[in-house]
Order: sequence, then C-alpha cells, then structure tokens
Amino acid sequence: MDRRSFLAACAAAGTLAAAPGFALAQGTGAQTGRKPVVGLVMKSLANEFFKDMQEGAVRHVQERGDLTLIPLGIQSETDIDGQIAAVENLITRKVDAIVIAPADSRALLSPVVRAIHAGIKVVNIDVAFDPASMKKHGVDIVFVGPDNRAGARMSGDVLAKALGRGGKVVIIEGNPGAENGVQRKLGYTDAISAGGLTLVDSRTAHWETEEANTVFSNMLTAHHDIQGVMSANDSMTLGVVKAIDAAGRSGQIKVVSFDNIPAIQPLLKDGKVLATVDQFGAQLAGDGIDNAMKEIAGQTLTGWIRTPLKLVTA
Amino acid sequence: MSASNASSPIGTSPSRGGGLARRALREAGIGLALLAMVVFFAAVAPDFTTHENVANILTQITINLILATGMTFAILIGGIDLSVGAVMALCAVVAGTVLKLDSLSDPVAIALGIAASLAVGMACGACNGFVSSFWRVPSFIVTLGMLNVARGAALEVTNARTIYDFPDSFTAFGTASVLGVPVMFVLALLLLGAGWVVLTRTVFGRMIYAIGNNEEAVRLSGHRPFVFKVLAFTVTGLCVGIAALVYMTRLTIANPILGIGFELNAIAAVIIGGTSLSGGRGSLVGTLLGAAIIGVLANGLILMGVTDFVRQIITGLVIIGAVILDSYRARLAARGGA
Repeated sequence: MDRRSFLAACAAAGTLAAAPGFALAQGTGAQTGRKPVVGLVMKSLANEFFKDMQEGAVRHVQERGDLTLIPLGIQSETDIDGQIAAVENLITRKVDAIVIAPADSRALLSPVVRAIHAGIKVVNIDVAFDPASMKKHGVDIVFVGPDNRAGARMSGDVLAKALGRGGKVVIIEGNPGAENGVQRKLGYTDAISAGGLTLVDSRTAHWETEEANTVFSNMLTAHHDIQGVMSANDSMTLGVVKAIDAAGRSGQIKVVSFDNIPAIQPLLKDGKVLATVDQFGAQLAGDGIDNAMKEIAGQTLTGWIRTPLKLVTA
Repeated sequence: MSASNASSPIGTSPSRGGGLARRALREAGIGLALLAMVVFFAAVAPDFTTHENVANILTQITINLILATGMTFAILIGGIDLSVGAVMALCAVVAGTVLKLDSLSDPVAIALGIAASLAVGMACGACNGFVSSFWRVPSFIVTLGMLNVARGAALEVTNARTIYDFPDSFTAFGTASVLGVPVMFVLALLLLGAGWVVLTRTVFGRMIYAIGNNEEAVRLSGHRPFVFKVLAFTVTGLCVGIAALVYMTRLTIANPILGIGFELNAIAAVIIGGTSLSGGRGSLVGTLLGAAIIGVLANGLILMGVTDFVRQIITGLVIIGAVILDSYRARLAARGGA
C-alpha cells in the first residue's frame, strides 16, 4: 500500500510534525551592518542531498568571508507552509538576498515576489519557478541549477546503448508533482524514444528504497521480460537492485540512476548499476550565493544559469 | 480465548460477551474477503499465483506484519502508537552504527547490533507507555511526540546520511528461505504466534483486553493498569526493533528517513483485521489477515496494471470499507452480548 496516502489522511499529525520546522539560524542578523546578509531557504535537511548542499554552502561562505548566511530548512520535502514561513521570516529580518530551493515551483512564488517588492534580491536554485506563474507576477527570477532532463537523458542513453533497439525498460519515478522528478522522467523518455527502447511500465516509489523494492518486485512479476530500469534517484535504485538480486536476475537486468550518493558506489563498481548522474549538489547553493552577491553588487541576472552535470559510470 | 476470558477476574463488558463461535465468524469474514481478493487477482493476473510472486508478497508484508503485531497490543489496550515508523528508523541507524564499528569482529558486531535495535525499540516503547499512563495523557499525542523525537534523533545520529555496506553474514538473513518461504516471514509468523499465546493464554493478555474494555473497572477491582500499559507499549517497541533488523537485512541499508508513514500501514492492518480502534476487541489472527489484505492488494493491483493514483484510491476505499464493517460488527456484538 502507498503509505503516503495515509499521511494525507492523518492531517492532524502532519501539521503538528511540520510545525516546529527547525530553523538553523546561525547568522548574527542584519544589524551587524557591514556584511550583506543572505538567507538560504532549503528543502528538507533530512534529505542527504540537501544536507550536503547546506553544508557545502556554509563552507563556501566561510571561504568567501564577505557575507553572513542564514540557512533555514524545513522538515519534509513537501512542507510548503514551512518554506513560506521561512521566506516571510527572512523578509521581516530585512536580509539583502534570498537563495531558495522551492518546495513547490508555484506556491512559493507569492512570498518570494513580496520579498522582491521589499527590495530583496532573489536567486532560485535546484528547481526552477514556473515560467508562466512568474510572467503573471511580472517577475523574472534568475535560476541557477542543473538541467535534470538533460541529466536523465545522459543516464538513459547509457542504458539504451547497453540494451540496443527494442530493449524493454521500466521507469521508477520520484514523487508525482515534484519538478525534478518530472524533469527526470522526461529525460528518460527522451532517451527511450531516441534509443528505440520499449517502455513497459512506469511507476512512482516516492523516492524511497523500501517502496522501490516492493514496487519493482511486483513490476518484475507482471513483466518477466524487463531488461532495464531507469530510476529517478539512487535511494530507489538501492531497492531496485535488491529486488533484482532477490529474483536471481543479477546482471541480466541493467539499471541506470541519478544523484550519485555514496551508497551507490559499490553497486557501480560491481556493475549492478551502469550509470548515475552527479549534479554537484554540494556546490549548488554556493553557486546560488555567488550569484546573489552579484545581484547585491548591482548586476541584474535573469534566465537560467546552468550548473554542471556529470555522468558517472563504473 | 472465550474460556480464558470467562475465568478472568475482571468483569466482562457487553462487547466481550460474544462467544468463540461469533469471534471465529468475524475472522472468517475477513478471511473470506482475503480469499475473494486472491481468487479475483488469480483470475485477472495469471502471474499472481506463481511461486515467485507468492514469495514476493510474503516478503513484502513481513515488516508491516511485525509492526502490526506490536500495534495490536497498543490498540487492544485502548491506545495507539504513531511513533513506530520513526522509532524503526532510530533502531536501524543505531544498529547500523554499531555494525559499522571497525573495532568489532563481525559476529560480535552483529550480536551487539541486534541487541541495540531491540533495546532502542523497547526503551522508546516503554517511554511511550510510561508517559501516557503515568500522566494519563492520550497515547495518540505522546507517541506523536515520540515520532518527532525518534526521527530527529535518527537524523542527528547519522547527520542525515545513509549507512550501508553491512557484513554479508548479517544481510544473508534478508534473502534466506526455507522450502520456498522467506525466513523473515517465518520469523514474523513465529512472533505473531508468540503474541497470540500471550494475548490469549496469560494474565497479561487478559489484562490487556480488560483495560482496553474498561480501564476504570480494572482499577476499581484492585489491579494497576499502569504496569500493563507500560508492558504493552514495550511489546510494541520490541516488535519495532525486530522490524528494523528485518528492514536492514532486506535492503542492506539503514537511513534516518526510512519508515515514514509505516505506522499508518500497521494501524490499517490492525483495523482491517477487525480489531476495534477503541480497544478491548480484536485478535492477532485478524491482524495477520489485515496485513495480508494490504499486501495482496498492493501486489495484485500492480500486476493488473492499475495506475499508481487509482491504486491509492482503491487502497483507501478498502480501509474505509473495513471500518464500516467494524462498526456493524460492534453493533452486532453489543446486541448479541447484552
């Protein structure tokens, strides 16, 4: 059963769990004067990827030494309210700039537009704000981030090459509605049509290892002839590979993935995973901060500043 | 069950008046629902009844079955435990940390890891039971607090990182099978059997039902519900510790965000299995059937090719249906036993 469905049902529990929204304010505040203050609004720090990103940002700021950073996290990846509160908090504190990885590419736009009207520079990282919504609000916020679609395409191409035309594959998707998940699925389907693969099934495992293990085991029963898997993140890939092992199909079913977390390394080495994609998350927030500093210095940035992606193979 | 109940010193409330036959009938009803589901999926999805798929389903329901076994104790005594998913993550990361200590040889590390997981689970459970019964606060809110404490602690212990690469002799359990049946499922069944004996053949078990039915009556008759409540929640915690170890052997990782929402699946299994959410009525046999229904549904719907979103809707409807059935059962029981 899909456990997320119950989360929604248990709204009371959810609200309470999300309410504390641990804030990691470390900055001394705007009142110290000289150094510009930059607020960093992250997604859930319970997620390895964002934890790395936040730690990378703190290190980067220490190296730069010319600004004060206020990093704020939320408790779950979908805690939109928590992020809105974080942005409002930063507006109240009159920071000079906000660097934000939005939990939702539309819902966060209103508070961010308020920040812009309050004279705060805003840089968007990780997942881009929805272009149509930005147009409606009359803003063009610069986006600093990787092209998830292109990254997934690179990873998917490796699988297409390994299987050849007609290879039968499935996609394990991230959270439905999560923009990076959507982009990765698009990249995978790009690779499927370019490589002449056949997509047999595509299902979400909500980024989770255990759910991916269960869902993929069941997909494998329904489609014995699956030859390849495109998984939207490494955590799910861990579960997929265990399912392949349990079915005694190690080596026969090829897997490509996304994220390049440490736990995936042994699987790359063993050849159980053909490829994954590193989007250098630890540097992403640092890049965002650099661009925020440029805006504070008077530059006007718009559009998409692409950050590097690297295909990682064994 | 009926016989042991009749010999109980505690007064029986109307809903407990049902005889063995009626109670067996209730479980038979859930069993029939499961059977109907199995027949349906077997007819529409040819792969459903293959040996591999049955083994898959057994593996997939194991963790929920273990958690639901513990949850049955908490619900029967009139409480609930919302912290099981988070505590499971804490158990796993603590055990995982112990397993990765370089200074220990594999057998020692494994023994200590197992002990650590069980100890953390029992400690959290005992804490839930103690706080909710000592200060007489609803376990709903106490365990909701524990959910946050345990999740935060798990993140703190690991700094949000995944622990991986455990000794092979530890993870071998996750793929072992006897006569085609996954060993982890056998373990879950043994645990359920032990729980059944405790609930139906011991004073502790009888007290759990009695407290769930009417805590005040138990108190007035000179017993102390406090001790039994702490014990019941400790059993829930023990099951969580075991479930964490099974998770680690099956997926060979431990991460601090595992088990999110698992409590809701466990509660669903218990309720679908006919245990009353208000306590005092239900059985572990029902819980087994409830967990099986959830697992079969998740598996069968994918085999049929039902999309994710529709699958979610159907699962929700089954739970609502089970609760509606339960309300009829409660009314019948009240009428019959009065």
